[in-house]
Amino acid sequence: MNEVTALFLKRIKAPLLLIVVVYSIAILGMTLIPGVDENGNPWHMSIFHAFYFVSYTATTIGFGEIPYTFTEAQRLWTILIIYMTVISWFYALGTAIALFQDKAFQAERKKLKFKRDVRHINRPYYVVCGYGETGKAVVDALLDEHFGAVVIEQKENLSDRSIHDKLEYVPSLTADASEPEILEFAGVHQDKCKGVIAVTSSDETNLIIAISSKLLHPDVTVICRSDNKEHEENMLSFGTDHIINPFESFASIFGMTLHSPSMQLIYDWLTGAPNTSLSTPANIGPGHWILSGYGRFGQQLHKKLSQKHIPTVVIDPKEETRAIYTKNKLPDDSFIIGTGTDAKTLTTAGIKTAAGVIAGTNNDSNNLSIIMTARQLNKAVFVVGRENFKRHELLYKKINEHYQTDTHKNIEELSTVAHLAMQPSEIITRQIRSILIAPLLIDFISQALLEDNEWANITISRLSAVIGEQRPYIWSVSINKESAPAIAQALGFGRSIHLQHIIRDPVVHSRNLACVPLLLKRGDNLQLLPDEDIELKAFDQLLFCGLRKVKHTMSPTLTHLNQLNYVMTSKNEPQSYVWKKLTHLLHKYERRSASR
Amino acid sequence: MNREKVWFSFFMILALTLNFGFFYGEINDAAHHNVYELFAVIVVNLIATIMKFGDRTQMGAMLLATSLVAMVQLIAASIVWVFAEHIQHTGLTPSNLSTIVALSGGAMLANIISVILLMIEASRFER
Repeated sequence: MNEVTALFLKRIKAPLLLIVVVYSIAILGMTLIPGVDENGNPWHMSIFHAFYFVSYTATTIGFGEIPYTFTEAQRLWTILIIYMTVISWFYALGTAIALFQDKAFQAERKKLKFKRDVRHINRPYYVVCGYGETGKAVVDALLDEHFGAVVIEQKENLSDRSIHDKLEYVPSLTADASEPEILEFAGVHQDKCKGVIAVTSSDETNLIIAISSKLLHPDVTVICRSDNKEHEENMLSFGTDHIINPFESFASIFGMTLHSPSMQLIYDWLTGAPNTSLSTPANIGPGHWILSGYGRFGQQLHKKLSQKHIPTVVIDPKEETRAIYTKNKLPDDSFIIGTGTDAKTLTTAGIKTAAGVIAGTNNDSNNLSIIMTARQLNKAVFVVGRENFKRHELLYKKINEHYQTDTHKNIEELSTVAHLAMQPSEIITRQIRSILIAPLLIDFISQALLEDNEWANITISRLSAVIGEQRPYIWSVSINKESAPAIAQALGFGRSIHLQHIIRDPVVHSRNLACVPLLLKRGDNLQLLPDEDIELKAFDQLLFCGLRKVKHTMSPTLTHLNQLNYVMTSKNEPQSYVWKKLTHLLHKYERRSASR
Repeated sequence: MNREKVWFSFFMILALTLNFGFFYGEINDAAHHNVYELFAVIVVNLIATIMKFGDRTQMGAMLLATSLVAMVQLIAASIVWVFAEHIQHTGLTPSNLSTIVALSGGAMLANIISVILLMIEASRFER
């Protein structure tokens, strides 16, 4: 028996007992009180008739005095019956209605429905804790990849907003995900649950979610957001699979940009959400950087700049930060007290000759102001902006439009207000998406970072030649019995299969599919952009980038031996029994006639 | 002393004793089986059933199940009675009556199990 039924029965017990007692008294009275039939003979109501009479009287239906007109004594008893039974019915109904309006009871019902919905998800799913900006984007990414999603959010209003607008039904519960019981409701312990994604705004909650998920289901993949180093270490200690720190992630993207802007563009392309516009590469000129805002964000970026030995001018309004700054500073660095929003401070910091400006305060309007002022003073400067709340995104865009109409020139350059924008939710979503969709992408990025800017430029041109202006789609192929049975079988026969066979169009033999093999992983060995004539081996893992539909066009080659034969030999093999026999005979005949 | 327990046990045992009272006697002799006694058995059984609502323990589930069985049997018996008296107008023929009494006998068996379970639970409490 579930909680809801049990609660209902418990509450309804007293009114039901009252009804039973009242009914039995009423029925008993009716059968005992003598009446008269139409001939005036004494007559006693049977229990059956009495039950019938009491039933329609108690429910205020009132069919009248059946089967014979009542005597005065019976009428007296009927008055009593009416008041007793009608009142007890009202009491029962009132109790039931009050129960259904009870907050605790409603919460229980919602929980029950949630549990049932989760049980009925019939595909692998992820539990998303926290339905803020990040959670929303993660859920979209999951649904896009045909995974199921379950949402737990603490705030009532957040959970009910927009989650019901999705094309697919996403079970959601308003509850504190740090309670292990709630995670159990969300089906974390079930086999179909592939992972738990903890992206609530509180580090501690994420930590508890990670611990409980691992305890409930050790095989589950746990992805955690953490803004804090200590929590991160704690999370790692009990086997959290992926920890995402938005500040560190952005710092490494920033480092990537400093290393090679084209590399950052590749990253952006490959990890971007589907159906978002492509960004254009930016150039970073030589010169020093101006860093406004020296919080944890500024410090991370400063570290990256120091690694590249790029001189930095730090602007921060607080005197206390100078102490932290002096610990980390390079000889060429300098420190200015101020906000950086005014032209004077920026000019002092040398904006005219600066290569880049970082608007990294924790105040969005200050950051916007810094960006606008910096752009007015130096049009070529590379702008890095920190966005604290996604809802200010519109503000960024609006100011950008305003700025464009103001200047009427360099519109090309100002297509984005900042060349590189730090949006925590966006960064986390990108990371989670690549973890979920293509773990190989992380290998690819780390391997690509060893290459230089020129390699990145060549890769970009190759990618754009194949994919064009559309957003690329990433997928991976493992050469094993599950995901590529035809290839595994053919390799088992000892046939040699090359990469070019897989990427050949299975319909038109002479054409290649619109995709680029990004990475070949063989054991621990990673090969970037593998050649087409490379020979495949069992258990190879391949990462492809191309249009989304190409993934589906490719799959027959991987799964059907006939299709594989076709792409390898450009011949259609007979498939049906009769046709096989016929062609066999035909071949025999041909050979015989040839030998004559 | 728990007053709820007293009432609970009272109604369960009363259901059994009344049931026995109705059941006892020649199976097809109308003089041995009173209609009011059947009425009382049904009412008391109904009360006992409702009192068992909402108990989520294993024992609670078993007790509720036995009561529901008894209710099904008793309601069937009363429907047979109504058929005989009011619909077919044959009155209580020996065959009708023996059906009714046999059904109430089944209900009594369920009530006996119910009381045994009650005793098991009570003895478990003592130790």
